[in-house]
Amino acid sequence: MESLRNMLVMIELEVRRLWHDRTEMYTRAIQPILWLAIYGPVMGRIRGIPTGNVPYTDFITPGVIIQSTTFVSIFYGFTIVWERDSGILKKLLVTPASRYSIVIGRSMSSGVRALFQLLIILPVALVIGVRFIPNPAYFMLAFIIVFLSSGGFAAISILIASFMKTRERFMGIGQAIVMPLFFASNALYPIQIMPPVLREFSSINPLSYVVDAVRGLIITGEISNLPLDIVAITIFDVIMFIAASVSFRRIIE
Amino acid sequence: MDLAVHVEDLVKIYDGKVKALDGVSLSVEPGKSFALLGPNGAGKTTFMRILTTQIRPTSGRASVFGFDVVHEGDKVRRLISYVPQEMSVWTDISGYENLLIYSKIFGVPKDKRERIIGEVLEQMGLTDVKNDLVRTYSGGMIRRLEIACAMLIKPRIMFLDEPTIGLDPGARKSVWERLNVFKREYGVTIFFNTHYMDEADLYSDEIAIINRGKIVARGTAEELKRSLGGEMIILELKGTDVKQEIIQELRNTDFVLNVFKEGRGLSILVKDAERALPQLIDLMKNWNISMERISISKPTLDDVFLKYAGERLEGKERIGEIMHMRRMIKGG
Repeated sequence: MESLRNMLVMIELEVRRLWHDRTEMYTRAIQPILWLAIYGPVMGRIRGIPTGNVPYTDFITPGVIIQSTTFVSIFYGFTIVWERDSGILKKLLVTPASRYSIVIGRSMSSGVRALFQLLIILPVALVIGVRFIPNPAYFMLAFIIVFLSSGGFAAISILIASFMKTRERFMGIGQAIVMPLFFASNALYPIQIMPPVLREFSSINPLSYVVDAVRGLIITGEISNLPLDIVAITIFDVIMFIAASVSFRRIIE
Repeated sequence: MDLAVHVEDLVKIYDGKVKALDGVSLSVEPGKSFALLGPNGAGKTTFMRILTTQIRPTSGRASVFGFDVVHEGDKVRRLISYVPQEMSVWTDISGYENLLIYSKIFGVPKDKRERIIGEVLEQMGLTDVKNDLVRTYSGGMIRRLEIACAMLIKPRIMFLDEPTIGLDPGARKSVWERLNVFKREYGVTIFFNTHYMDEADLYSDEIAIINRGKIVARGTAEELKRSLGGEMIILELKGTDVKQEIIQELRNTDFVLNVFKEGRGLSILVKDAERALPQLIDLMKNWNISMERISISKPTLDDVFLKYAGERLEGKERIGEIMHMRRMIKGG
């Protein structure tokens, strides 16, 4: 109970921080919007990528959104590194809150930023002409999936942050994680057209499962894979939360 | 009654090489204000981080109000609050919101939250700026907000790591006046690290001096200074020279440790200048010696540090300060 409460407090904190300053979120939305407004329509003209019966821009919309929210989550570990520089983390550790509730709470609160990012990109996608499945329940479920998976990606960044000593080093590493996950996933093209090695990697790439779930829910309406996706995301989250909690000791020493 | 802090033979070695603490033993009584004084790098922060259950000692035992910091960390954390040396509030939300978040983490019951936050804001003189973003606060205000966070629960003991580092004298004074009120009102024990001698001197009931991971001396500021051997009373005399017999007679007086003659003046080494002075004046009157000027030269904690650590604190302090500033700049 107490741990759950602490996690909710961390999420509340993130909502408050975002409320005071949203500039970062707007500037971060520029890149995905470029993907949707320029890359999508241009590549779509070639008609070389088999996307079923949905237009190419519609096909990549979930992938671009998830790439963007994953970036947000991964760079969230950066905040933790910063908090190590400052005394916030030290002070949190001395409160009655348990360590794992701090780790999971901080990770989950990246979901707040991810959802906010989603809320900026979705209307833009709508204006560009992307057609969504008009089902509020599906949208809610997609939001929850984005929120939960963000926690896992933020935990990856906490895990890595625990090995990094400087923030400069971390910036480069952050890029080096997100881009491979993005390109070696079903975000921009179906897995079926990948070379076999990449296809194998893609099947253990958590990003693929998130994209698949969200694409099914908001673009194609094809949700037969959804239970598998949710199981995969849950396993990913649990493993990452455990690994991040264990490595957390390294951050504080 | 349990001691607020009890430590036996504490050793901390980082990465198998760096010996940050080298067998520290000490105890602190409840309700006291205790200063750990030493230069940067002496092991003060490591010591405090062990006491606040953040890191484990390599060997030795430490307990806070009877609870072992290694095995009963969760119990210790419910009794203490802690203000680290580095900034420990979120600057992108308001002062009030910082207190709200911390009060929830500390588990302050919902119905008491508003009242307690109002109280600590008032005590720390932040009521007028509570809704401003912390980013707009001065260094002193940020420190007061951090201490306000630590006051949200009425802790049994408060750990403050360099509570006034980087603050101007006015802000330092204001921080300490408010801390002292809090201490008096709630009987809170205060354990603080500092490398400012005057801070240890003015605001502690007891001091331990730490250097290179070892406690080299401890006692009240007065005791430590007195342990240097004494204080000097310097008399400048009017008119004629003092006769040798009188100097001899002075030397034989019980409260005088030694007498030096310098020109027309007399320097008299005593144990406690304030107590000796009235008697000394009486003696001078009896001998019909008239004085032009009396001054007392007291040893400082820096002299104490010099005696026990074999080096001065002041020179080291300045280098430490510069390095700290650099870190702050680098950290943005």
